[in-house]
Amino acid sequence: MTDQIKTATRVVIVDDHPMVAEGIQAILENYDDIEVVGTLSNGRELIDQLGHLTPDVILMDLNMPELGGLSATEIVLERRPETRVVILTMHDNAEYISSALSHGAMGYLLKDVPTDEIKMAIDMVMDGQQYLCTGTQGAIAPKRGGAREALTEREQTILLELAQGKSNKEVAQNLDISVRTVETHRKNIKRKLGISSTAGLTRYALEHGVLQGTGSAF
Amino acid sequence: MFGFPHLNLSYGQKLTLLAALPLILAGTAIAVLVALQSRALAEREIATLETQLIEAKKAELRNYVTQARNGFYFIYGSAAPDDGTAKAQVTQILSAMIYGDEGQFFVYDYDGNALVSPRQTDRINKNWTGQTDSDGTPVVDELIRIARDGAGFHSYNWPKPSTGKEAQMITYVTSFPSWRWAVGTGVFIDDVLASVATARADVEKRVRRTFVYIGAITLTALLAVFGTGMIINLRERRLADAKLKKLTQRVFDAQEEERSRVARELHDGISQILVGVRYALDNARRRLERGDSTAADPLGKGIASLGEAISEVRRISRDLRPAVLDDLGLGPALKTLSEAFQSRTGITCHFDTVVFRNRLDNDAKIALYRIAQEALTNIERHSGATKIQIDLRGHRRGATLKISDNGRGMGGRRQATNPGLGLRNMQERMEQLGGSLRLSDVVGGGTAIEATVPLTHMLPPEKATASKQKVTLP
Repeated sequence: MTDQIKTATRVVIVDDHPMVAEGIQAILENYDDIEVVGTLSNGRELIDQLGHLTPDVILMDLNMPELGGLSATEIVLERRPETRVVILTMHDNAEYISSALSHGAMGYLLKDVPTDEIKMAIDMVMDGQQYLCTGTQGAIAPKRGGAREALTEREQTILLELAQGKSNKEVAQNLDISVRTVETHRKNIKRKLGISSTAGLTRYALEHGVLQGTGSAF
Repeated sequence: MFGFPHLNLSYGQKLTLLAALPLILAGTAIAVLVALQSRALAEREIATLETQLIEAKKAELRNYVTQARNGFYFIYGSAAPDDGTAKAQVTQILSAMIYGDEGQFFVYDYDGNALVSPRQTDRINKNWTGQTDSDGTPVVDELIRIARDGAGFHSYNWPKPSTGKEAQMITYVTSFPSWRWAVGTGVFIDDVLASVATARADVEKRVRRTFVYIGAITLTALLAVFGTGMIINLRERRLADAKLKKLTQRVFDAQEEERSRVARELHDGISQILVGVRYALDNARRRLERGDSTAADPLGKGIASLGEAISEVRRISRDLRPAVLDDLGLGPALKTLSEAFQSRTGITCHFDTVVFRNRLDNDAKIALYRIAQEALTNIERHSGATKIQIDLRGHRRGATLKISDNGRGMGGRRQATNPGLGLRNMQERMEQLGGSLRLSDVVGGGTAIEATVPLTHMLPPEKATASKQKVTLP
């Protein structure tokens, strides 16, 4: 028994539909090398309990109240980069899949896949490999040449803060993350936009109407 | 109430105001100008008349006095300065020379004693030095001074002999120097002043009447403007009402159509599948009860059918409203739309956007998405295009969605068919958002649709940041 617990993969299920969460848990309990350490109903709860749950793999729904799966994934990875997130959803749209991957998810599962695939996905990501379930690999179209990679939600938030003239430190404080993480995001933003200076970021945000877009501007 | 530009006036009200204000201004200006001009003109004429009348009186007076003086010359000229008889004779004759209602001659000696005053006999043989009229003008002293200097006119207020009422009079006085007499006669000019005053009153009345005329004309014009405005307004409203009614009907129709479609799909698709699953499960239960080892077969079939039901639900839900639009924003939704369109129709559809996601509010997202859908449908049906370019970008004034194709263009199509329910729908959607919809022909064939929503529909960065902040705090 002790041997099994030591090597078991710690899994957390985050889904706001209790029936689904219970179903997945019941399926996973069939496997000895998987321990479901928590079932939570939204991203906010996950962030709050991330510290003591210390999951290896998170099975994450996308649409959830309070905090959705994409944002939660980014925040989880900022705090515990070693965590593997597998998105588990009803959405088979390619945009969801590419968004999930760009937000740092390692796996993408449709809820209506054969249940064996859930275990397969967990094993694959634990092995350090990406897992896209049957029926979604084809949905990932190769990136078109020249098309710019979209910013993640976190990157967009940080871009807007930086464009408003806030320093790395202020942004870090505002978002409750480390300055190093802000710097990493900042580097990624500049890379994605092909802009090298902060002034350039501000101008970019202004020219695309995302800075001045306020309901009270008129 | 016209003074506040921030008042929410309708277009019609503004137009009426625009017509009415200059009219009122013009009317007022004309009235004031006419009044000023006619008053000035009349004043000049009245002044001339007054002068002429008074001059005539003066000439008359001078004639009387000169005539009298000449008449007495045979007595006065041959008499010595102290010839009492001659003086008495002249005095007597002068006293008798009364004329008209008030006309009389007077004589004062240089010391101020009244010698002749036939209509006010109580003044005779009294000294009137220092007498002034009601305005303080010296009377007798001044008359004597003028007489000593030769002759001249004097004007003062004097009680009318006939009524005793004071009135202004003009006097011509000359002298019998050797007798030290001031001899003269006067005439009341109150009648002149009265007729001048009447003339002035007349002018004033005419001016006022002109005012009233101009006012009446302006008012009539104003009434006409307001009346016309009101009629136009009413007509517009009736048209708008009719339009709204039609629109509502259309909304209802579309809603009903959609409902019946969904109902049909639920019934014909999912219902049937679920019934199948139920049979499969039932079958499996019976086999299990019998201890039949093939129970897994119908169970497997049931599970497969459930998968089918799930994808059916997914399809219906996506058709009703793409979740991508809500979850990921307009960009990914449009990308999905264009890719689906391309694979379904074979028309090359290229989509470009900026890196920002989900910056538009719900209304704008849906409107732009539906416009893109409508535009793609139109292109597929009518344009014969082989290539479509969709662009979505934010800028300093808001966000713009541009869809252009290389098809036949709008030129012929617009006349051929009714200007397009879909197009009107798009227009209405954008109007509702305070945005704009522009249709243009692309050089070298094809059509471009540009829908722009104003900045008001872009989410402020503060809000996005705040919500992120809130959820990340421990």
